[in-house]
Parts: sequence; structure tokens; C-alpha cells
Amino acid sequence: MDQSHIRNFSIIAHIDHGKSTLADRILQLTGAVSERDMRAQVLDSMDLERERGITIKAQAVRVTYTAEDGEAYQLNLIDTPGHVDFSYEVSRSLAACEGALLVVDASQGIEAQTLANAYLAIEGDLHLVPVLNKIDLPAADPDLHARALADLIGDDPEHVLRISAKTGQGVKDVLEAIITRMPPPDGDRTAPLRALVFDSVYDQYRGVVAFVRVMDGGIRTGDRVRAMATGSGFDAEEVGVMSPAMTPIGHLSAGESGYIVTGLKSLVDLRVGDTLTLAREPAPEPLPGYREAKPMVFCGLFPVESDEYPDLRDALDKLSLNDASLVWEPETSQALGFGFRCGFLGLLHMDIIRERLEREYDLSLIATTPNVEYEVTRTTGEVLAVRSPVDLPEPNHIERIEEPYVRCSMLTPQDSVGAVMGLCQERRGTFVTMTSIENRQQVVYDMPLAEVVLDFYDQLKSRTRGYASLDYEMVGNREGPLVKLDILLAGEPVDALSMIVHRDSAYARGKGLVERLREIIPRQMFDVPVQAAIGGTVIARETVKAKRKDVLAKCYGGDISRKRKLLEKQKEGKKRMKHVGNVEVPQEAFLAVLQLDGQSTR
Amino acid sequence: MRSGEPGGVAHLYVHLPFCAARCGYCAFVVEVGRDDARDAYLDAVLAELERERGRLGALETLYLGGGTPTLMGAGRLSALLAAISPLLAPGAEVTIEANPETVDQNLMAALAGAGVNRVSLGVQSTHPHLLGVLDRQAGPDDAARAVRAVRAAGIPRLSVDLLLGVPGQSQADLAADLAWVTEVGPDHVSWYELEFKEGSAIASGPHLPPDEDMSADLYEEAVEGLEAAGYRWYELANFCRPGAECRHSLAYWRARDYVGLGVGAVSTVGGGRWRNAPGLDRYVAALGRGDAPPRTQEPLDADTRRRERWMLGTRVDEPLDMAWAGSPDRPAALDVLEAGGLLERGRGTVRLTRRGRLLQNAVMQEIMDF
Repeated sequence: MDQSHIRNFSIIAHIDHGKSTLADRILQLTGAVSERDMRAQVLDSMDLERERGITIKAQAVRVTYTAEDGEAYQLNLIDTPGHVDFSYEVSRSLAACEGALLVVDASQGIEAQTLANAYLAIEGDLHLVPVLNKIDLPAADPDLHARALADLIGDDPEHVLRISAKTGQGVKDVLEAIITRMPPPDGDRTAPLRALVFDSVYDQYRGVVAFVRVMDGGIRTGDRVRAMATGSGFDAEEVGVMSPAMTPIGHLSAGESGYIVTGLKSLVDLRVGDTLTLAREPAPEPLPGYREAKPMVFCGLFPVESDEYPDLRDALDKLSLNDASLVWEPETSQALGFGFRCGFLGLLHMDIIRERLEREYDLSLIATTPNVEYEVTRTTGEVLAVRSPVDLPEPNHIERIEEPYVRCSMLTPQDSVGAVMGLCQERRGTFVTMTSIENRQQVVYDMPLAEVVLDFYDQLKSRTRGYASLDYEMVGNREGPLVKLDILLAGEPVDALSMIVHRDSAYARGKGLVERLREIIPRQMFDVPVQAAIGGTVIARETVKAKRKDVLAKCYGGDISRKRKLLEKQKEGKKRMKHVGNVEVPQEAFLAVLQLDGQSTR
Repeated sequence: MRSGEPGGVAHLYVHLPFCAARCGYCAFVVEVGRDDARDAYLDAVLAELERERGRLGALETLYLGGGTPTLMGAGRLSALLAAISPLLAPGAEVTIEANPETVDQNLMAALAGAGVNRVSLGVQSTHPHLLGVLDRQAGPDDAARAVRAVRAAGIPRLSVDLLLGVPGQSQADLAADLAWVTEVGPDHVSWYELEFKEGSAIASGPHLPPDEDMSADLYEEAVEGLEAAGYRWYELANFCRPGAECRHSLAYWRARDYVGLGVGAVSTVGGGRWRNAPGLDRYVAALGRGDAPPRTQEPLDADTRRRERWMLGTRVDEPLDMAWAGSPDRPAALDVLEAGGLLERGRGTVRLTRRGRLLQNAVMQEIMDF
């Protein structure tokens, strides 16, 4: 189709602000999905996404819309993930578009991620169409939020569309605005192919499927294609569009979006952000902005039952086919046996992977404390990337330790600013700036990522009664006085409970942690000392007192089977414990490190 | 199924389920308000006895339990005992359970005449407020009156049942119970910890069981108090004057064969265990038709038997003979437990220490793969 009749756009919205509902409504209104086939949230295809109400994978759907000017337009809706962990994927999706709908809940207002993604879009020269959704809600305050929205993008409040995706009210105006306010693509169809990979999925029958936006040139089924960053080559086995099911159409030209079946066997061979070009006529330069997906958060994953180790490996293998940002390598823990150290884009990503492993692969897992990657310079000058506290060299061999910092942008109601700033200070944050946005404040801090990956987000939510929202971006590494905090059970260090902490908070962390462990670890046959130590010096100690009584005092003839079954049942309960030396430790203990609130309860 | 012990089964239990009311902590098979069924029930038990007679050898012990066995009345109990007595070995122990409020001298005299030589009195507590928590029918004076009646009838052996861990029970309350026991001087005491069994009223009520430290304190107080008064802590929850162990219970703890008659009763003979189904009417009807009562069978394989021998044998203060009991599933655990002072070993024997006895479940989990 002529480029002037094409629009590529995405929807920027905070979780729950109605992006999926609006997308569904657009599919319906343009006839891409019949009323009868309409499943809520067609675009979110994974169960887990549906349950959590979030979109993990971006996709592109083509619909044809006949506008009020009587012309038929090709609209490519490029879906974006809605969470901070996936901000790179968001940026690639946006790079595939000329415009974006900026959707904000008329009762909630702008959230930090909306803000961050809106800035990303503005930086990328996208034309934004502001949309207030859920205006049918009683709590909606469209005038207030329209002003804020207009302010944010430098537009007139009158231009903010007011809709209800749920009832369908105003959705037609959205489609018209896409045509009239967003520019068409202007690629050079005669130039060599340059197609941006903004997403890719692994299909077990067809291999890697790339979702692309063709910037220049064109691609046909059968073309020999090369990925410019990874260097992978493949034949375009099928070229088509999602409408919303996969529909082969044979070719894609500049300005259009669609999919390419590559036949590649792993997502590692085709990264999001890469540029595809034709082998016979390669483009001289790739598209800008390619970045290796870099894991930010690491944790150990261990099977509760050691014989499930091969199953866990197979499951990780399969999951990484589908998720190039998941990295993992074998790890051995004295406490937990054989497992894997896994790297994730962020905490949500980690939760999702863990949940999928447990749910889809029926594994029972212990996850160790998440940590970040430290850059450690040895006294010899050698520089190490430390992804696990266990790998930290002895203190006298360390010249310096650097840790990753993120710039956290939090949007919060006026009356919670103090609480937010207090939290950031506690977590070693450095104040950057504060700006008011209508009735709210945007508070910006630079924070060690290590402090953010623990329970920062939960704390932020709970201290602002759920009102604050968070976005963050990397700002590089900074040096800090960091030490390794060890936890000893019955005198033995438990490697899986070690963590790297700031020297000044080590005592409070250690004390809080041993107190919590004392509560979590059940009484055993013998006293179990629980100690926190730094480099061999014990800084806090608690004792899990020995069990005094565990007996069923009555047992007569009619009772023997019942008593035996009771012991069998007790045994079942013990199976969920992990033996660390002579101590039985429940799985929760390994997560105790995550809860830092009220670091010491005494 | 293997056949039982040579010479036949030597221990017989008869379940007499009638009760005036269900106690708050009770999850047994009991029948309230069915006094009209007592004659038919007696006939049914006698019929079951006839069916099982072939398994029985000379009976070393007979135990009439319930329920409230005394509610059967002197006549029916005498008839029952008359039917069984030809099977009793010389010197057999014949016990009947009784609730204090049901005991009078006439009844005791009749039972003594019918061969009963041991009474187990369900006193549970000497405190009215705790008896109230338990929904017991007895008043505080009933226990003393019952003891006098047993003795006046010339029944030589008396056991008293008490409970610890009753919600609201203080250490002072327990001390008062101890003082009462010392004064009355039965030759046997069963001091059970109250169990919050599923299906009992107390488990679904407002009361919570005491925490581990509190119940351990009470338990230790009971043990130490009774030992100071000259009783031997010969089983986890049982105490006796020298030579006055309950021989019937010892048979259970030594994993001997036993036959149980009556509704809900359990039998273990050779490699098998069966339980008569609950339900008075079905029981009576089946035996009335000349059929076996409805039962559930539980086959016991060699491993189960071995684990049960350990589970039962470590309850008593006599050393467990490992040659008899079989090997533990995790022999190495014995070393750890011995070093930790939870058990002591002799030549091929194992016995729990005093601390180990209070942790018997945990010790079993270490040694055995249940």
C-alpha cells in the first residue's frame, strides 16, 4: 500500500489503564476480530500475562480502517510491554512507529512509567495523541488529568481525547486521530532493505519468528536475509502480517510492519533491536539504537528436590528459546546443591520466570536473594564481574567495588512526598530533582540498583497507600563501601544466604535477618545458633531454641495406624524443608532476606 | 495374611460405646442417647466373640473400654464377662473403664464378682472450671466417691486418667491434680496430653492448645511430680507403682496381636489390621444376620510392621531389642541422636533418654522413613 495510507503506532499506558481493552476495541471496530471471536485482551496471549494483566511480549497487528475521508488505511498497532523491566523492548517498539497513543486512566492520572515512556516517545520524535480512558468511572477527573496530559506533551487540553474503551465511547475518534494527527511513514522503497526487529518469539514448529518494521526497501518470501548485529543469516521462509492471526502475504515494503518466519533455532540468533537486510544487497549502515539485552538482576534457582536438577535445566533451556534476555549458568551451593545462577532484566522478569518454571514445568524451586552485578577490582588490578556474593574475593584482595546505579523517577501525591523521600534516603538514594505535575510530584533519586531490586517497589507502594509509581533507568556504576554479609546456621556459613551490603547498613541488615530467621526456622532437636558475620566477625546472633516437646502422648490399640499416619504426614511437611548441614530450613528462609522493612523488630 | 502368634491371641478389647453425652475433646466412636440398643448390642458383641473365638488363645488381658462401659449396667456387663471368663488365663488382668459419676458400690461389687480386677477411672481433672472446658459430666466430688466405691468393692487395682494441656490449665492447677493423686494413691496413672483431634468439639471451638513451651512445662511437672511420689514413668504418658504396669497397654506397645470386639474396634493379628466400621445399627444388624460386621482391612507389610515396632517400642522405658524390632531406616541417625543425648544404646538395644521421650515424634522422623 502507498505509504501515505499507512500508520504505524503504539499505545503507551500504565498497567491497568486500559491499553489492552482499547486494542481489543480497535480490532473489533475495524472488523479484524468478529464479535463472536472476541476474547478479552486478544493481544496478550500468554495465560500468565492475562492473569497479571500485563503484556510481556510486543506484537504487531495490522487492521484496515476506512476513515471518514472515505479512504482505506492500513493501521499497524505495535503493542508494547507495560513494565519497567522491559523498557528496552518498549524503546524498540516505539522506534518502529511514527506515532503513539498516550493513554491515561481518567481517575488515576499519569504514572511514572507513562511519563518515562512518553519521554522516550518524544525523544524518538513520535507524534503523540493524548487519550483519557475510563471517563465513565465515577472517580474520573478528566479536566484535571487532561491538563496534566496536555502539559506533559506541550499540547492543548482541548486536543485530549476522552474515551471509554470499555463502553466503546470515543474509540472512533481515536482511529480518526491516528489518521489525521500521526504522519505516514516515509521510507525509501528503492533503497536496500533495512527492517527493525522490534520483537521476536520462538515457535516450536517454525523456529524464531521476527516481528519487523520495514524502514527502507522491501522483503519477499524466499529472500536471503542477514541480521546485521548478530551476523545470523537465514531464508525468509514466510513473510506476512498478524491480522490478528498469522497471515502470509509474501512481501513487506518500506513503511509496513509484519512478521518473518526465519527458521532460526534460538532467539539468541536474532535479538530485538537488530536490523535485517538482504544478503544480496546489504544496507551500508544498520538502523541506530541496537543494544544487547543485559541482565540486571541475578539470583540462584535451585530445585527443592535435587533429582529435579535435570528437569530444571531442560525447563530453562526451553524458556530461553522464548526469552533471549534470560541468561543462566550452572551454580553449586553448599547449602542448596546444584542449581543455576540466572540473570533477569528486572524483578518482574525474575518473578515471571520463576512462576513459569513452577507452573508450566511443575518444579518446586528455591530462589536465593536477588542481587546485581558488581564490578570488583582486585588489588592486582584485575577486574571481575561478580554476580553472586559467593564470588566476592576476600576483603584484603579487593581494591574497590562498584555497583550499578539507577535513576529512579517516582510520581507521588503531594502528601506522600515525605514518605517517598524517607524511603529513598534509607536506601542510600541521592536526591536529583523534584518537579510538580498538576496535583502530584515527580521525585527523582539516584539509587543503587541493589536497593531497588529488593523490596523497594513494595515499600514504595505501601508507604504511599499504593499511589506512587516508579520508573528507572541505568546511570552507570559507582564505587561504594560494600561488604559481604554472611549468615551462619549452627556455626556453618550458608552460602545461599550471603549478600553484599553497604557497610553502614550491615549491622541493621544482619540483626534484622537473624531475627527473622529465628522466627522462620522451626525449632529443631538441638539449639541452632543463627549468626550474621562480616569477614569472620559475628555482628548479630540469635538462637532457635531446641524443640522441647514433640510427642503424641496417647497411643492405644485403636490408635496405632492413626499415629503412624500422623508421622507420615509430618514427614510430608519435612520434605518441603531443605537440609543445610544438620539444620532443616524452610524455603521461606531463603526469601527472608528480601524483607527489609523494620530491619530490626526490637 | 500371616497367622497370628502361636498359642492364639492373648489380648482382647471390647468396645462399649454408650455415653450419656459426648465430651468436648472426644473423637471416639460413641453413641449418645441409644440406651435402648444396649441389649441388642450385647448380643451382637457376643456373636462377634463367637466368630473370633478361633483366633483367641488363653487371654492374658481383657479390657472393656468405651464410650462409658459402666453405662451398660451391671447385668449386661456380668453377662459379657461370664461369656469371656472361660477364655481367661489364670491371673489375667481384667480392666474396665469408668467415668466417676457412673460408679457406685453396687455396680463395683457386681463387677468384682464377675472377675474385674482393675478399674480405670476417667477423672481428667480435679478442677470444676477445667471439667467445664472439657464438657465432662462429673463434679469435683465424684472422683473421690468413685475411688472409695472401687476400693470398698475389693477391686485391687486402680488407675486414674488425667489430662494436661487443657486450655486455661495453669501449673498451679496441675500441682493440685498431683496433690490429689498423691493423696488418693492409685497404683497407676495415665496422664495424657489433651489432643485437639479433628472432629472433636474443642478443636472447632474458641480454645487454642497451649504453646510448646507451656505444654512442655506442664508435661515435665507431671512427670517429676509423679516420680517424686514414687511412680515410675514407664511409658510416655503412663506411670505406675512397682509391678503395676497396665499389661493390656504393654501388649500394644510391644506390638503384640490383639482382637477388638464391638463397633469401631480395631484388631491386629499377624500381618493384618482391621477396624470394625462405626455405626451401631449396621454393626448390630450384620451380626444379627450372622454376618461379619462391616470392616475396613489394612494390610501391614513388613516395613510398616518394623516401623510400628520402633514407634511403639520407644514409648516404654524398657530397651528396644533391635534384633526383634528390625533395623532402623537410617542407622547413622542413632549416632547423632545418642551424641545429642536423646537416646542411649546398649548391646543391640535402644532406649530414649528422658529428653528424647518428649521428642519421640522427632526422633522417629530422624530414624525412620515413615
